[in-house]
Amino acid sequence: MEELALNILIDGTTYGMVLFVIAVGMSVTLGLMRFVNLSHGAFAMIGGYVTAHCIQAWGFGFFSATLLGVLFTIALAGTLEHTVLRHLYRRSELTQVLFTIGLSFFLIATTNAIAGPQIQLIALPDWLNAQVDLGFRVLPAQRLLVIAVGVIVLVAISYAVAKTRFGVWLRAAVDNPDAAASLGIPIRLVQSTTFACGAALAALGGVLGAELMPLEPFYALKYLVLVLVVVAVGGMGDIKGTFMAAWLLGTIDTASQYLASSWGGIFFFVAMILFLARRPDGILKARET
Amino acid sequence: MTDMNPKRRHESPLFSPFLVVVAGLAWWFFLPDQLGLLTKLAYTALFVISLDLVVGIAGLPSLGHAALFGVGAYAAGIFATFVSPDPLVGLFIGALAGSLTAALSGLFLLRFQGFTFLMLTVATSQVLLSLANKFRDLTGGDDGLASYVMGGVFGVWDFDLYGKVASVYAVASLSIGYFVALKFKSSPFGLSVRGIHENRTRMVAIGTPIFLRLWVTYVFAGLLAGIAGAISAQTNGIVALDSLSFNLSAEALVMLILGGVGRLHGAVLGTLIFGVLHHTAASLNPYHWMFAVGAILMVVVVVPRDTLLATLRSLVIKQPNRHRAQP
Amino acid sequence: MKHSRRKILLTAAITALSLHAFSAQATPVKIGIVGPFSGPFAHYGVLFKGGVESYLASQGGKLAGQAIEIIYRDSGGPNPGGTKAVVQELVVKDKVDYLGGFIFTPNAMAIAPIIQQSKTPTVIFNAATSAITAKSDYFVRTSYTLWQVTVPEAQWAAKQGIKRVVTAVSDYGPGIDAENAFKSEFTKQGGQVVESIRMPMSTKDFAPFVQRIKATGAQAVYTFLPGGPPNLGFVKAYNQNGLADAGIRFLGTAEMDEFDLQKFGDDAIGLTTAFHYSAAHDSEANKRFKSALKATAPEAVANYASVGAWDGMYVIEQMIQATKGARDGDKAMAAAKSLKWESPRGPVSIDPQTRHITQNVYLRKVEKTADGLVNREIQNFGAQRDHGTKP
Repeated sequence: MEELALNILIDGTTYGMVLFVIAVGMSVTLGLMRFVNLSHGAFAMIGGYVTAHCIQAWGFGFFSATLLGVLFTIALAGTLEHTVLRHLYRRSELTQVLFTIGLSFFLIATTNAIAGPQIQLIALPDWLNAQVDLGFRVLPAQRLLVIAVGVIVLVAISYAVAKTRFGVWLRAAVDNPDAAASLGIPIRLVQSTTFACGAALAALGGVLGAELMPLEPFYALKYLVLVLVVVAVGGMGDIKGTFMAAWLLGTIDTASQYLASSWGGIFFFVAMILFLARRPDGILKARET
Repeated sequence: MTDMNPKRRHESPLFSPFLVVVAGLAWWFFLPDQLGLLTKLAYTALFVISLDLVVGIAGLPSLGHAALFGVGAYAAGIFATFVSPDPLVGLFIGALAGSLTAALSGLFLLRFQGFTFLMLTVATSQVLLSLANKFRDLTGGDDGLASYVMGGVFGVWDFDLYGKVASVYAVASLSIGYFVALKFKSSPFGLSVRGIHENRTRMVAIGTPIFLRLWVTYVFAGLLAGIAGAISAQTNGIVALDSLSFNLSAEALVMLILGGVGRLHGAVLGTLIFGVLHHTAASLNPYHWMFAVGAILMVVVVVPRDTLLATLRSLVIKQPNRHRAQP
Repeated sequence: MKHSRRKILLTAAITALSLHAFSAQATPVKIGIVGPFSGPFAHYGVLFKGGVESYLASQGGKLAGQAIEIIYRDSGGPNPGGTKAVVQELVVKDKVDYLGGFIFTPNAMAIAPIIQQSKTPTVIFNAATSAITAKSDYFVRTSYTLWQVTVPEAQWAAKQGIKRVVTAVSDYGPGIDAENAFKSEFTKQGGQVVESIRMPMSTKDFAPFVQRIKATGAQAVYTFLPGGPPNLGFVKAYNQNGLADAGIRFLGTAEMDEFDLQKFGDDAIGLTTAFHYSAAHDSEANKRFKSALKATAPEAVANYASVGAWDGMYVIEQMIQATKGARDGDKAMAAAKSLKWESPRGPVSIDPQTRHITQNVYLRKVEKTADGLVNREIQNFGAQRDHGTKP
């Protein structure tokens, strides 16, 4: 029985960490700029593809390739944000939806045209592929890396938001953009930097998650619902909430695979309904009456 | 933008549905090889009209509207398999299933707004999708439910290979549904729902029963969506899981936004534009149509509407300089 | 408002123009190929197209002396309504003489009434559910069914002395077919299926299922998943979570499909599958197929989907031959039902009752060669019919 619980915990945490790293960027962007970016999944995909390409075509190692993938995505996202996306901040949410879905379609078609429809693999170094013996089961080392990265990202972002000056600016800009601007906080800088960081995290998530969510052109839209669910349950802009939501939902989904797999993904969505109904502002925020 | 004067002919609830009938007839005569596409566009347009009631008029963006469509489709398919292959009775069953589902889910969903409401609609439709997959003995699972053969409309006109009967059936249903929806929109009830969308606090202040009005609207939307689903089940001869999918909900929302939210005309226009665009692009190049569609969606957002229309106008109609008062 | 009226008129004009742009003249024999050319299943489209184009090129661009026009149409994923609209247009507007393609069962089911009414011979290159061909007299299939490849594997497993097997399949039509086929035959042979695990189609992490398989204490796992991410994920999880080391044998069918095979790396070596086509099949016909594919469609891989298209085109060619290029559905089907030929997979024939392909099923093991991983055929189970239908 404990073995089952431990298995659920380990596999659920791994899955949850991947969801967290991909979703946290979207949560912050949504919370900060109220910008509905449905092309967020595309950033995860592009980060993964560039990393895969660096390894396959140019022989980079795993970590340097991942760095390159993240940097490329930052550049791309930053450019998009500066040229086009920032003009959409003022438009209605539905308009943002339309545009970013169009952008996703376009990026999917581009990826298909460049790389073809087959799955792209990210070749891991041998030590990451090695099996770690936990006694009651074996686990690929890569999974432990994912869990570690998830925790590091949580700690790093929470620290950055709470303790650095940029974090102060960010929180001010979220709470009251006009007051913040009148106090001399460079709102545009905050917005672009946050957006770029969100995209960078998505790219990182895409690389880390490639074992679970293989890279293919349709990736951008395929996993979009999952990311949206995590963001909604976690609460827009709430980093710890997103972590909690990703972990809980990931574990519940994993548990249903161990215990009642013929019911499909129903438990994931039922859990989501229950969480959201009780805590509509985010899982860590008690409902305001 | 609400027009308060019902006497203007354009805004009469009869005008646009009449246009739809005329357009349908024109298509029937001039494009008799593509009545399958017409049928599909017709029931999709009805579906998007029902979505506009929720998104545009009640102000509740939904990404789970396929739940109501799919329930209507499966109800009609299961009814045709086990009870009777009569299409019109099946249409009624689809309407019933759609409204019942909307009634039940609305009791829960309508307590929420905004992003929370949006995500809960996603969850609801995904739960229904999982159930449809689980009970595959009834629904056929992912293979689809195809064990029924439809009878003729009024017992006389069978659904034929060319889609002649199916397209008339679908376009007629669309026109009637469109008319009723327009009546709803311009009725005092509909206007109060609009008011709830625009300023909920004020509506509360004047004593409007918010929840009840939204619920009735949602049930009505469910009725129309259920009919659209039933038509798809009957004219395709098969119901599959895609009728409950997130993709369908998302596509419908995209079509609605494209055409313009809130006036119901946008629902029909958006369906027509997106549907034809997708069809044409996919025929030209089945592999890369996503480029075209994606690019156009982005262009539509970024380029102001008047500029777009002016460009289209100059491409299609060669006009000498003519003074035209701008509306 | 004038504004919206103008908008409506413009839209109507553009609609009419764009829809009218594609009327072609009908002298060549027209073949409509319907498959997923976009979206998450687009790789199947590449494989279909590769098989079709390379066959046509290998015959010098003509089939049975007739000029050919191929029209490709996207069906997207499982989308019966959309597929039906597309096929209706192909039949009614483009007036195709033959149809080919189809990956998904609901899409094939949806078009049955159209091809029946219009008497359009339709060759299914892939959709593997037994019940499809019965839906219309004009269906003929050149792929396989789960019963066809699973029954001999179950018999083999029993002969190997394996007594306890756990089945783990994806929770969709073909997966359930596979589970039923294995259970039915294996228990008939005296074995025991200790547990039947169904894995949701949305599964990303297969580690939980692999843990469950370990916990059953079975000697082997029989599995079926769709190609692409699920297949890749499961086989990886099988290796990475130590099932191979625990001595639980792998019994599969399509999992070592050449499309994904190289991605598994050395972990795949030794895995056994029973299937009807291996790219490593040693025959003249297969050599011809592979070199034609390489020459015309290098982005495609020689696997069951591309060979399904290749053989499908052969069947269409024979039908064109029998009708001398004229449109005669009944004559074409009569000719199709009596076909027997040497396909790249081995000797095959079309069963006149079910109109499904009867073919050899082989037992294969993955081996490493200088060219990468291959499915080496180690045993030939002989000709198998579609065991999912009554004889």
